[in-house]
Parts: sequence; C-alpha cells; structure tokens
Amino acid sequence: MDETVAEYIRRTVLKIPRDEIKTMLQKWGFLSETQLQTINFHQIKENISQDVVQLCEENSADIKQAAVLDIIYNHIYPNKRVWSVYQMNKAGEETEFFDLTDFKKTFKRRLRSALKNVTINFREYEDNAIWIRIAWGTPYTKPNQYKTSYVVYHSQTPYVFVSASVLKSNLPLLCQALVVASNYHDIREMELRSHSLNSLKDIVFKRYSQNFQTYYPRPLQERNVAPESADLRIIQENKNEKERIERVNREVFGDGPQPKLEFAQYKLETMFKSDPEMDVLDKREPFRCLVKFSSPHLLEALKSLAPAGMADAPLSPLLTCIPQKARNYFKIREKKGFFPGSFVSP
Amino acid sequence: RGKMEEGKAYSPDGVFAHLEMLEARAHEAAIKQEETERQEEKLARLKARVRELRHQRDELQAKVDLQQNGQLGKEGAVSDPAQPSARAVLEWKIKSLKAMLQVFYLTGISGKLTKRGVCFCISTAYEGTYLDSYYLDLLTKSEVQIHRHSIPIFIPLEQIAKKYLQTDIRRFLSVLSDHLNAYVGRRYQADQLQERFSDQIEGTLQRNSLCNLLVFNYDVSSKSKTFPFTARLLYGDLCCSLPTEVTVSPAPDAPASLAEMAAAHSDLFRRVALHKAFCSFSSTEES
Repeated sequence: MDETVAEYIRRTVLKIPRDEIKTMLQKWGFLSETQLQTINFHQIKENISQDVVQLCEENSADIKQAAVLDIIYNHIYPNKRVWSVYQMNKAGEETEFFDLTDFKKTFKRRLRSALKNVTINFREYEDNAIWIRIAWGTPYTKPNQYKTSYVVYHSQTPYVFVSASVLKSNLPLLCQALVVASNYHDIREMELRSHSLNSLKDIVFKRYSQNFQTYYPRPLQERNVAPESADLRIIQENKNEKERIERVNREVFGDGPQPKLEFAQYKLETMFKSDPEMDVLDKREPFRCLVKFSSPHLLEALKSLAPAGMADAPLSPLLTCIPQKARNYFKIREKKGFFPGSFVSP
Repeated sequence: RGKMEEGKAYSPDGVFAHLEMLEARAHEAAIKQEETERQEEKLARLKARVRELRHQRDELQAKVDLQQNGQLGKEGAVSDPAQPSARAVLEWKIKSLKAMLQVFYLTGISGKLTKRGVCFCISTAYEGTYLDSYYLDLLTKSEVQIHRHSIPIFIPLEQIAKKYLQTDIRRFLSVLSDHLNAYVGRRYQADQLQERFSDQIEGTLQRNSLCNLLVFNYDVSSKSKTFPFTARLLYGDLCCSLPTEVTVSPAPDAPASLAEMAAAHSDLFRRVALHKAFCSFSSTEES
C-alpha cells in the first residue's frame, strides 16, 4: 500500500470523534466485521488509527477507497466546511431524464480533459444527493489529497453546493464540468453561504416552513405559554401588544425551525443622512460601510428579537427576506421609491 | 388413455398440461369473480352510507327549520329555549363547513383568498394513499404572479406558469396538479419497490429527483434457478406515472428462453404500476 494512502487514512481516522470511528468504518465497508472486531476502540485515537492503517495494509487499500472514507466523513460532518451555492441556467425546455451513469462519465471526462491530475470520486445517497470529491493536482504534480473540493448536486435541479476551500483558480474548471455534465448552459455563484449544508438546501429547495394560509385545519401547535400567574392581582399590561408581536412574528417567520445561517452581510452605498446644519460630510458622496450580523443561528436570533423586546415588530424586510431571496450578502444603494433598498443582482 | 373429446392432445403429457391449464384458468376466473364481488359489495356499502348521510342531513335540516320557525314565534322570550337552538345552529354550521372544507381538500385543489391574492393548496394522492401537499401563494393585483410556493424545484413550474398562468389559471392549476400527482406516484412506486422487494433487487436502484428514469437489476427465477435481468424504465411524460419506454434485458449469457420472459416483463412494466408488477411476479412463482 502506498505510503501517502496510509498516511491519508490515518489522518482521516484521527479527525473522527472516537465514539464514531467504529460506525463510520462499518459504513465504509472496506474492513470486514472480523477485522473490525480485532480493534480496541477504547484506546487512544493515535493507536486506533495505527490499527486501522495496519488492517488497510492487509486489504491493500488504494486511494479510491481512502477517498470514499473521506466522503463518508464529510457527509456526516458537513458543517465543518463552508458551502456556497451556485445556480445554473438553461434555455431549453425539454424534459430532463438525468442518467446518473452519463453524468458521472461526462463530468470526469470534462474535468480530466482540462486537468489530468485529479482524483474524482462519487457517492450517491438516498435523497438523490450526489456527492463528488475532487482532489486537485497541477499539470505537473499528482493530486494533493489534502486539497479537496466537495460538490453536492441533486439531479434535475439548477442548484449546486460547493465547498471549494482551496485553489479558487480551479473553480472555473469545476463549474464548466458541472454545467456540461448536468446539461445546463451557464452557472453563477449566488450570494448565499453557510456552514450548514442542509439549511442551504432548505432555503433554495424551499423546504423551510413558510406560513401558507389555508383552510385545511392544521392542529394548533401547543406553544410554551408561561403559566398565568396564580395571583390574580398581577396583570399583564402589554398583553395585546405581546400577542400582536407574536402574531406578526409567526406570519413572517412561519411556525417551524429556521434554516441555519451564521451571518448576513449588508454593504451600504447610501448617503449619510445627517442634520444639514451639522454638515458632517463636505462632499455629497455615498457613505460606504459594511454591516455584518453574526450569530450561531442568525434567523432564530432575528425571530426572537421582537418577542424579547429588542426590536419592533415587524422587522425590517431587509432582514426577513433572507430565506425567500435565498441570499445573505446584500448591496444596498439609495432608495428610489418605496422598495426597501435596491439589490444588486450579481 | 383413450381419445379425449374434441380430439385434443393424445399423449399423457399433453393431458396433464391441459389439465394444469384448465386449473389455472379456473383459478384466475375465481379470483376475478371474487374481485368483482368485492367491488360490488364495496359499492353497495358506500351507497348505503350515502343514503345514511343524506337522511342525517335531512333530519338536521328539519331540526334547524323547526327551531328557526319556533324562534320567530317567541320573539320576546329570553334565554333558555332560544339559547340551545342558536348554539345548535352554530355547531351545525361549523360541522358542515368543516365537512365542506374537507371535501375540497380531498378533491386535490383548494384555495383561500388572501389580502393580496389567493393561496392554493394542491394535495396529491396515488391509488388511494394521500401523499404530500404543495402550496402556491399568488398575487392577483395587476397580473397574476407567484409570490411564494413550496413546489419542489425539479418540477418545471416556471415553464407551466409561462404557458398558462396569465391566460388560463384553471389550466395552470390542473397541469401543475397533474405534474405533482404523477411525480408522487412515480416516487411512491420506486419507494415501494425498494422497501418491499429489496430482496429481489441486485445492487442499488438508480433513480433521480423526478423519478423519471429508473435503472435496476432484479432476479428472476425460472426452473428453480435465478437469473439477473436489467430493467430501464423511462417516463417520458411527466404527467404520467407509467413509463413510456421500457427495456428489459437478461444477462448476455442467459438461455434464449428467457428472452420471451424479458419481453413479457417489459410489456407488464409499461402497463402496470411497478410494485404491482413485482407483486404479480412473486404470485406467479408461487403458483
């Protein structure tokens, strides 16, 4: 077995949390049950990884199998990477049949014709997600297994999720291979980025909860109502206002969990509005500034602002339009009419 | 031994084969008859239920009329006799309204007027099983626009909207509903195949988001040996849950007699839902 493959497998195993190593190796399926039973999974990870490499040596693992283990790891822990979303366009209106074998063949052929030194691996999942792992080399060097890009594509959709991480120069090659293999015309990057791959999918596939008005009786959800104070002398003065805020919030954000985004960025190119007498700026120029909201879970945080009393309800559409417009990077120019801020389409 | 009637097959083998065939025919005929009887029973039951409900409705209507007339007579009378009747009317109204909404929901397309337009709900079903519901929030101020929706991204919503949304909204909803129903039907068949017949499928079932191309290998038993067949089902019509093109091929080294079986399977897949076709494979193997 190649030294580099052994080292790669060792390092991949080290990334996995100790309690998950056995399950992941089972999913991998490269080592047999009997082989796995010879490993003591309670020792320190260093030793576990050495044992695994030893067994892989016996089975003569090559880079292809090692790459599969890497895909499995990234599929279970996709949130360790930052994902961007790309949108593809096509002019034609013919029904797409999407043959998986053709797609894989065309993608590999296209990418390899531009750059021979690449390792390409595919893995399909139950939800029609195709995971592609690409390790990049250069025209003169072998692929570097530690410089990988990941692509997740759901057939017959115009969206591709890419975690490029390195070597931005290879992106055009990757994009072109994708477009050709999936039968589209062109591709552009959307202004949507996050660590949470599933949330990005929820946003562009419109799987997040939108409050649609229907007559169909849905069971009213039990919400956490703080027990009314037993003491009848205590009255909620702002009860009406509180209920109004709850109602407005639900209309805007829906009932279900929000997609998970870590930040929203607004690039302002608007004029500074100050008291004319103060005359802060000599020149009448747009005041350039960047506003960035960060949070472990931005949309849930925004949803809780009004009920917590920190903001008025309804919130600014600039904040609440994020899932619907499928973007978290905005450029805001001077307002022309009542439309809340003009967006620059990339 | 001896001549059979109508000069049929003379040799003993022929007799047994003939008997087997007659047996099989009788069995099939019995099954068909059972099926028809069951259908008739079901129809009779449903008709009886309809009569029952109509009777109930008439009773309640009579009650309402009676109470309304009674109330007109006693205008000045306070509370008690009037209260229950007002309440009963309200309850009856709510119940009938809910039933009406339920009926609309069951028909598959229902809508509600909103402040700025209409919100439609398309409910899908396949062979009696209710599946997902999809929503469309339309604005109808100047021209009809789709404000928000929960239609899956791989359904060609934009194309359908471009064709029909402005000119014929009924057609738009109907075409969209056909697409969605056909999609969930195809998906249901593929899921059923994977869940119930996984032991007959070799390897993975290759499918795609629209479930309009399925490729899989399955085992066929003939004369107590199993042979792998490869099937490729292409669903050319997105509004249809049956395939338009089917190719079933035995392995290259399979005996020539299997070619006929492959052709028969190919024809079956074109006519019958996938999981039902597989059901019939297992049942013919048993008999």
